[in-house]
Amino acid sequence: MAGKISTDLIRGHTSTIILNVLRQGDSYGYAIYKQIIALSDNQYELKEATLYTAFRRLEKEGYILSYWGDETTGSRRKYYRITEAGSQFYEQSQKDWAFAKNILDKLINGGLNHDE
Amino acid sequence: MMNNSSVDKKVKERINELFAGVGSSQALFELKEELSTNIKEKVADFQSRGMDEQQSLQEAMISLGDLSELVEEMRQLGQNQAKQKVYSTRAAQISTIGIVVGVLLILFGGLVCTMLFFQTSETISAVGPLIFVVLGGAITTYSVLTRETKKCYGMNKIRATIYAAAVGTGLFGFFVSIMTYAGMGKIYTAIAPFMVFFMISVGVILYLILTEVDRKKENS
Repeated sequence: MAGKISTDLIRGHTSTIILNVLRQGDSYGYAIYKQIIALSDNQYELKEATLYTAFRRLEKEGYILSYWGDETTGSRRKYYRITEAGSQFYEQSQKDWAFAKNILDKLINGGLNHDE
Repeated sequence: MMNNSSVDKKVKERINELFAGVGSSQALFELKEELSTNIKEKVADFQSRGMDEQQSLQEAMISLGDLSELVEEMRQLGQNQAKQKVYSTRAAQISTIGIVVGVLLILFGGLVCTMLFFQTSETISAVGPLIFVVLGGAITTYSVLTRETKKCYGMNKIRATIYAAAVGTGLFGFFVSIMTYAGMGKIYTAIAPFMVFFMISVGVILYLILTEVDRKKENS
């Protein structure tokens, strides 16, 4: 995968990214992993280890809930669904991100104009 | 979904290695199952791209990333008995209430039926309350299966529900045939409805038993 996003930068957004996948429909571990790769146009991979840790955290916070699929052949999938609280959190994060993106862009790329 | 038993076994081994020495808990048991399903799918994906089994498995495990945080969380859960209790209390409560209600329903149905049997001359109205036995049987089955014991973890809810439905169907077959017999007084008319329900029930239960996953606790 081409570019790089520092772990620090992505860490604060793992929850929002997962919620973005789940608000578009229930999904399970490996599918979510693939959906995130697809969302990034194959440019970024969120490690499964990170995902599982995040699932547990999000479930504790009440932003997602989990249920087992009805595959009866011994290999059951654990599905996740976004909750109402999760949707609200997602919308807030989306706003925060829009704000942060704008400010960070100014801070990183902006030039100081001394003539004013 | 892939059903290759050799990959199945190897994935399980790898996961057990990852969580070696971690005290058992319901959460760990479920996490292992979740991981195993997902890893098997990934292995199948790699294999469909032409990788051999060994390589696919290796690649799938490595690409998981750093699981140490998750392992540590599970270790603490396993150590902390109190936490573990909190995790399973709700399920245990539901199971306990279910067993009590189920058994009471069975007793109620049985006793009312006995009472009516001696009270009325019509057998048909006496056997009616046996429907409570059917209901009680299904509820008891569900509650017993979802119960976490010292040696086994509770069965997952969907599976237990199917078991309960199958047992209920079988009992319902009994019920219908007893009703028919009481009404018509002929054995052969009673066997027909019984056969249908009973066969469905046996079929489903057999299928479930043959696809059973191991729920035994390791450290017991």
